[in-house]
Amino acid sequence: MTTIASMTNMRLKFPGAESLLFEDFSLSFDKGEKVLILGPSGSGKSTLLHVLTGLIPHAVEVPMKADALTIPESWGVLFQDPDSQFCMPYVDEEIAFVLENLQIPREKMKLYINHYLEQVGLEFADTHTKIQTLSGGMKQRLAIASVLALEPEVLCLDEPTAMLDPEGTKLVWDTIKSVGEEKTVVIVEHKIGQVVDFVDRVILLDENGTIIADGPKQTVFDQHSHVLVEQGIWYPGVWEDYMQENDRQMPSPINTAHVKPAVHLSDFSAFRGKVTALHVEEARAYPGEWVTVLGKNGGGKSTLLLAMMNLIKTRGTYHILGQDYKRIKHMAAYVSFVFQNPEYQFVTNSVYEEIAFSLHLAKWDQEAISQRVNQMMTIYHLEEHKHTHPYQLSMGQKRRLSVAASIVKEQPIILLDEPTFGQDAKNTFAILEQLEQLRAKGTTIIMVTHDLNIVNYFATKVWEIDHGKRVKESSALNYIETLQQAVNS
Amino acid sequence: MPMDFSYKETWLHKINPSLKLLVMVLIFIHLLLIHNTNILINYMIGMLVLYLFFTGHPWRRLLVISIPFLFIFLTSSTSMIFFGKGEITWAEWGLVHITEESFFRGLHLGFRGIIFAVLGIVFALTTRPVFLFYSLMQQLKLKPKYAYSFMAAIRLIPLMIEEMQTLHYALKVRGVQGEKGVRGFYNKLKSYSIPLLSQSIRRAYRIAVAMEAKRFSIPGNRTYFYRLGFSKFDVIFLCYLLVIIPLAYITANHFPYFSITDVRFGR
Amino acid sequence: MGKGLKLSDILVTIIIALIFGVIYKLWGPLYGVVATLGLHLEQLLYGMWFIAAVVAYLVIRKPGVALLAEVAAAQGEFIFGGEWGVATLIFGLGQGLAAELIFAAFRYKRYDMLIASLAGIAAAFASLGIDFYYGYIGDLALWNMLVLCGTRIAGAVLISGVFSHLLVQSLEKTGVTNLVRPAAKEDYQALG
Ligand SMILES: Nc1ncnc2c1ncn2[C@@H]1O[C@H](COP(=O)(O)OP(=O)(O)OP(=O)(O)O)[C@@H](O)[C@H]1O
Ligand SMILES: Nc1ncnc2c1ncn2[C@@H]1O[C@H](COP(=O)(O)OP(=O)(O)OP(=O)(O)O)[C@@H](O)[C@H]1O
Ligand SMILES: [Mg+2]
Ligand SMILES: [Mg+2]
Repeated sequence: MTTIASMTNMRLKFPGAESLLFEDFSLSFDKGEKVLILGPSGSGKSTLLHVLTGLIPHAVEVPMKADALTIPESWGVLFQDPDSQFCMPYVDEEIAFVLENLQIPREKMKLYINHYLEQVGLEFADTHTKIQTLSGGMKQRLAIASVLALEPEVLCLDEPTAMLDPEGTKLVWDTIKSVGEEKTVVIVEHKIGQVVDFVDRVILLDENGTIIADGPKQTVFDQHSHVLVEQGIWYPGVWEDYMQENDRQMPSPINTAHVKPAVHLSDFSAFRGKVTALHVEEARAYPGEWVTVLGKNGGGKSTLLLAMMNLIKTRGTYHILGQDYKRIKHMAAYVSFVFQNPEYQFVTNSVYEEIAFSLHLAKWDQEAISQRVNQMMTIYHLEEHKHTHPYQLSMGQKRRLSVAASIVKEQPIILLDEPTFGQDAKNTFAILEQLEQLRAKGTTIIMVTHDLNIVNYFATKVWEIDHGKRVKESSALNYIETLQQAVNS
Repeated sequence: MPMDFSYKETWLHKINPSLKLLVMVLIFIHLLLIHNTNILINYMIGMLVLYLFFTGHPWRRLLVISIPFLFIFLTSSTSMIFFGKGEITWAEWGLVHITEESFFRGLHLGFRGIIFAVLGIVFALTTRPVFLFYSLMQQLKLKPKYAYSFMAAIRLIPLMIEEMQTLHYALKVRGVQGEKGVRGFYNKLKSYSIPLLSQSIRRAYRIAVAMEAKRFSIPGNRTYFYRLGFSKFDVIFLCYLLVIIPLAYITANHFPYFSITDVRFGR
Repeated sequence: MGKGLKLSDILVTIIIALIFGVIYKLWGPLYGVVATLGLHLEQLLYGMWFIAAVVAYLVIRKPGVALLAEVAAAQGEFIFGGEWGVATLIFGLGQGLAAELIFAAFRYKRYDMLIASLAGIAAAFASLGIDFYYGYIGDLALWNMLVLCGTRIAGAVLISGVFSHLLVQSLEKTGVTNLVRPAAKEDYQALG
């Protein structure tokens, strides 16, 4: 076996951080290996990929040094942040950009572009299509196509499917599996269900960025299962274990006969520009209910939440706790909201201020604010980053911060757009538990997700959205049963 | 940003962008050497023809765009008309002193301003920035580092407008209530402009990293997805100018509008 | 210039420049409206057209940035259809060079309000120099020309000196400037 990439005693420290992220970190990869890197959120997985490819320190200046460092000759990296992948505005120009860099003759470019698009299963009538108009799943596949255009020997993937619907997830993994056959592939993923049969080696990091296990996947899963549990990393069967351990009761459907709905939509439409992007015939959510909104990428889930927050143009009937939404001046007093992209909602310069922000607005006194913020930071494992700028957090940390900052005031209605993507098991359960506590107190939770386990173990109700219409309302129990029947038959 | 509107492609669109730019700079220098208003007016007509008939944009848009022309004319000319040096006094109120010389010099400046504006807008309306920078790389050997940075940055501008929308949402969602009055306006300005700038810098930085990740910096000769060369349209463009400019001189000599032929003081 | 700037420096400079390019473009009509009042009140606004060079330099603090930013901002204003057309490019080049010279004179070691103001003044002089040929300002009545020069310089100090320095200070608070500046020595020492 030839070593294709390696580092010995690598040390790295982000400017201004209190401690080193990596200390005497050594690792090496053989040609053709398929490696999965697992670790809690914030353990340094994304940073590790950057070091592995030489982006740190060549493109991003971060203080680091190593006794020895072998960077693979050709590599491609799929970034974690879906919005910072693209260098050009159009699909064809994006792939052409890579081809230009590699000095492919112009005459062959069209051919190559079509080839790579085909490899990831993308079809366009005209490849000169604006990237902005693509859905989340298509964008992700385009990003993979442009990485493939580098013809890399080593393929590094940082959570390639975090925001995709189940169908898109499967397609993307199938693509990766077929094109990665011959290559060395390094994958960072939290949810391991789809990848586990593809990889042959697993590396476990703990929250301090130290390797705690490294070996063939079966050995790691068998011998280190307790570590997985301790570090709060996903592993097959984690949900069942969690439910058993916490002895959680499934929430029982609520008797809604004598309660007023917290949210009532009727003949309600939302517009994107002049187009009706979403129409809801009739929908209700009651205090103490947990509604999960399910549907394909581009179906209109985010649109629904934006409309319920009165941020985009809407028409129709919509009552919040019995009041007409048009009459409500400050929506934020009743409803809190978590954007799909966590960065969208940051308005301050540090983790602490971000969580304290709504409390300051609500004129809490300093003492109470500090107490509450510290409590939130502990729950969401952000204490160490009290003074960090929100943009410098890891993906999972950003997500947690956005959730913490919006639910801190405990409004009666909470809208969340995929609050658990890119999260390790420990933090996913931390978020869900918090929400569950609020729900038990009578808060209405409406949450977009692609994770059916949440429907199974936490939700009381399901709204399915398809092609801009709210198709079906069903109880969570019924939804899961129908699903299982469909699988069985 | 012409690519956001629909328009018809005309021969002006097909001129090599570098050539177009160079010619415009030459025209700029040439115009600085013209001190005869009569020539300038004819010159202006020649350029207005390009603007009015050959940009391929609809009339209404052209009309709206040309409203600031009036301002250009006024800003470029008024102070010179009111306060310029001159000997043949036409009117005098306090500080204001209008003379024949200053009046024509002001007029001259106004017309010149309009020519620059017209040429600039013709260029903007008929040139896709992406082609301009590809052409600058290919014909004028602009370093790709700069050209691609420009292209990436230009693409970020519409995203920034979106960003502003998002920021507005975020503040609303977080329960920020607008204050009234000057203080409120100042706070608002601050709560938008600083995040917008810092966000854009962060985004630019990330794109630079993504470009490096796609091997932008490997040394060697790049190949180009778009090849911009020269065509008969470049010849047409040059011929047009070679006819119009001498014509402007000849007609100005034979059929002058004004008797003054040099607007500079003391000539 | 050029060799020392990394791709990320260039991209960040250009994005700052283009943002101000948009502002330059919007500034044109405002300037026009004020100008019709006469008496060169509009010259107080002129300093806005030097700001890209100063802000970009204060953020990135590297040689070449001021010139690049001012030229890029002018280029931006030009391709967005600015009222002054190609003239913008010439002015941008001159103003950028002037500001760059000031920063160079202090060996790129100073980033305070004074240096920002000096750069603004230098840019103002550059623009006045070009205007001598372009706007015949030498042919204005003497008192009027002095008012024009005085207000333009005052505006340069106010906008590209004081205001841009305050702006960059606020930006520094957001931590974004750390991205483009070299990491501190202590951080490297901590690696051992
Ligand atoms: N630019 C930066 N400046 C300071 N600290 C940073 C920066 N980028 C990352 N960090 C910190 O380094 C740590 C590791 O971040 P990294 O993004 O590598 O984590 P990760 O393992 O990928 O997490 P996730 O699973 O949430 O994506 C985090 O604690 C993060 O806050
Ligand atoms: N800013 C926008 N302007 C115009 N159309 C948009 C905009 N954002 C989304 N759309 C369109 O609205 C439709 C619904 O998008 P939405 O973001 O609500 O989908 P989603 O269900 O949240 O998908 P995902 O699972 O990928 O987040 C899509 O067809 C999309 O193309
Ligand atoms: Mg990560
Ligand atoms: Mg969505």
